[in-house]
Amino acid sequence: MRGHGNLLGLYVPGRSVLHRAPLWLKVFMSLALSAVVLAARVPELTAVGLVAASLGLTLGARTPAAQLFRTVLPLLPVLGVLAVYHVIANGLLPAFVTTGNILTCVLAARTVTLTTPGQELLDGVVFVARPVRVVGGDPERFGLALSILLRSIPYLAGSLLDVRDAARARGLERSVRASVVPVVINAVAYAHRTGEALAARGLGEDDRPEDPGA
Amino acid sequence: MHPTRKTVIGPTGTSSWRTRKRWTSTDLSLIAVFAALIAALAILPGIPIGSLGVPITLQTLGVILAGLALGPTRGFAAVGLYLVAGLAGLPVFSGFRSGFGVLAGPSAGYLVAFPFAALLAGFFAVLVLRRASRFRWIGLFLAGLAASLLTVHPLGIAGLVVNGGLDVPAAVLADMVFLPGDIVKNLLAAGIALSVHRAFPRLLAPARSPATVADS
Repeated sequence: MRGHGNLLGLYVPGRSVLHRAPLWLKVFMSLALSAVVLAARVPELTAVGLVAASLGLTLGARTPAAQLFRTVLPLLPVLGVLAVYHVIANGLLPAFVTTGNILTCVLAARTVTLTTPGQELLDGVVFVARPVRVVGGDPERFGLALSILLRSIPYLAGSLLDVRDAARARGLERSVRASVVPVVINAVAYAHRTGEALAARGLGEDDRPEDPGA
Repeated sequence: MHPTRKTVIGPTGTSSWRTRKRWTSTDLSLIAVFAALIAALAILPGIPIGSLGVPITLQTLGVILAGLALGPTRGFAAVGLYLVAGLAGLPVFSGFRSGFGVLAGPSAGYLVAFPFAALLAGFFAVLVLRRASRFRWIGLFLAGLAASLLTVHPLGIAGLVVNGGLDVPAAVLADMVFLPGDIVKNLLAAGIALSVHRAFPRLLAPARSPATVADS
């Protein structure tokens, strides 16, 4: 199995203003900025939003320029195609509004993920999920499921790469069946083992009383 | 994160899933591991496929597979968990994208459709596995394809129109590009799901005998 260090979040440690700000405030400001530019759809606000999100990343989170570039890079092909389409179909300003709004939202969300450790983000999600109790959900089992998800990704990614190597050694590198089936079978067995281990420790079982009608 | 405190909730709610069979810790861990499997398939570079060797990412294969292997409710939960983790900021979407910012992007419709695709695929898969004893591979393929045609493509097109600002014919045209790859991935998912059900015959236990699940 191989190491996959970068899988657990895009968090970059630091001591900036945004690193020290509480999570709820960061999420609220980021969502508010996205909502405003998406609702308004006017070029002036899009420009303001782009500048605000960029300032948040550079000054607020002290993100190095190289990191900022790596954040935007995967988006460029899609945004480029979209921009070309809108320039031809609707003109320059609509093209700027549509692509600028998407970029603003992505950058605003990125200010949160860059300045918050992955575990804290997931704790935040579990916190937000508390109201599901009202409809019979269980936020603690949800948190447990997220933990299992986190620790399974490196294991499964390593397993996929290993099995792919094995398939290549047999000359089957073009066969998805040879490179995926063993991983999936292994994953189901792994899930059963994990489930038994949890049950043995009394975790993850539903300990609420049975419904009379169930 | 660690559930140290026991939560006991009385039977107060009357929503539909309270009456359903409850998930055991094995169900919970199957859901989480399949969510992790989709993540692993999405972030690894695609496998070159066919004689042309065009690499395809296997994210959607994982989504359909979750439905075909786990059934409707657990499949929906697995893909939903994957989506929540990605939206919360774990880099689990293809191309290492993550965070709730992707909901503003033109491909948001595809992501939102994924849990429903797994739900439908699982629903059809249960029908196929219960009714058919032959041609199950074709049945599972049709289950996955129908699920993706009914959910992923319409919602994907809607996302292109709403977020990308494309007009409908252009969005449909842009979506058509994914159709051949989708058919290939559904063929593969059906084959993989069949292998999984052969290896674990009780994974999708028939609803009429829930007792068989308890002693596994």
